[in-house]
Amino acid sequence: MLTVYCWLLCLYPRSYRHDFGEEMTFVFRDARDALPPALAAKISFYWCEVFGLLSSALCAHFDRLFGPAIPFPRFYMQPQFRFPRITVFLMLVIFGGVVLAIRIASTVAGDTSGSVWPLVSVLVFMLVTMGIAAAVFSGVLHSLRRSGLHRLENLQSHMHSVESNSKQ
Amino acid sequence: METSALSEPVLLVLLSLVEQPRHGYSMLKDIESMSHGRVLLSTGTLYGALQRLLDNGWIERVHEDNTPRDRRTYRLTSRGRRNLQTEIERMRYLTKLASLRVARKEA
Repeated sequence: MLTVYCWLLCLYPRSYRHDFGEEMTFVFRDARDALPPALAAKISFYWCEVFGLLSSALCAHFDRLFGPAIPFPRFYMQPQFRFPRITVFLMLVIFGGVVLAIRIASTVAGDTSGSVWPLVSVLVFMLVTMGIAAAVFSGVLHSLRRSGLHRLENLQSHMHSVESNSKQ
Repeated sequence: METSALSEPVLLVLLSLVEQPRHGYSMLKDIESMSHGRVLLSTGTLYGALQRLLDNGWIERVHEDNTPRDRRTYRLTSRGRRNLQTEIERMRYLTKLASLRVARKEA
């Protein structure tokens, strides 16, 4: 299993492997050696290791390519951030844009026999347009403090008031 | 990042390093014992958290000449300690808020 683990480490970016690869292998070996003999414990351990390695390798690649793209903090612990209402609207706008783009593209494709480029260009154009429209609308809502992203501020100020009340 | 909630693995890693510098395996065992066996971090998750904490300057490697690569130890920086304190304060606020709400509901 140690061989498989070393092989799976190849999924990480080279710099990450260089920094942590050897250390991780030794820690894995120590943890494996300390496992109880029960089969269930072993299966659970290996499952957890493989899953952790795959997800962590994916995050490392994302971080390397886009910076810390997957948020470091646990934003889902803050229910006010979990699913702002505006997300529903933006998803509907984008979905509408995709449907419209497909309709227009199929019409264009019917007119131009064989070539797919008009279809692709119309699709891209429509998606970009809808994306811009969604971004503008989101910006307007945000500036009006109606986007749902100000709830944390409200919660924090509420918590401060709760604290000051409890002190009194 | 400094004022946002931390994930449980990251919080446990920081708590594990509060008392003393530790190496990877020692952290795994300490976290397991701290959570009474509820949280079993994989090495991938542990080192993913360590890498981000290192990148953000919350922890640092302890440089010792004789330390082998598999026993590299990590310790909290003053920044990490400060941010951990902020997180604890945040959780205290939340707990207080929750208690007040529940008490109000029951009253």
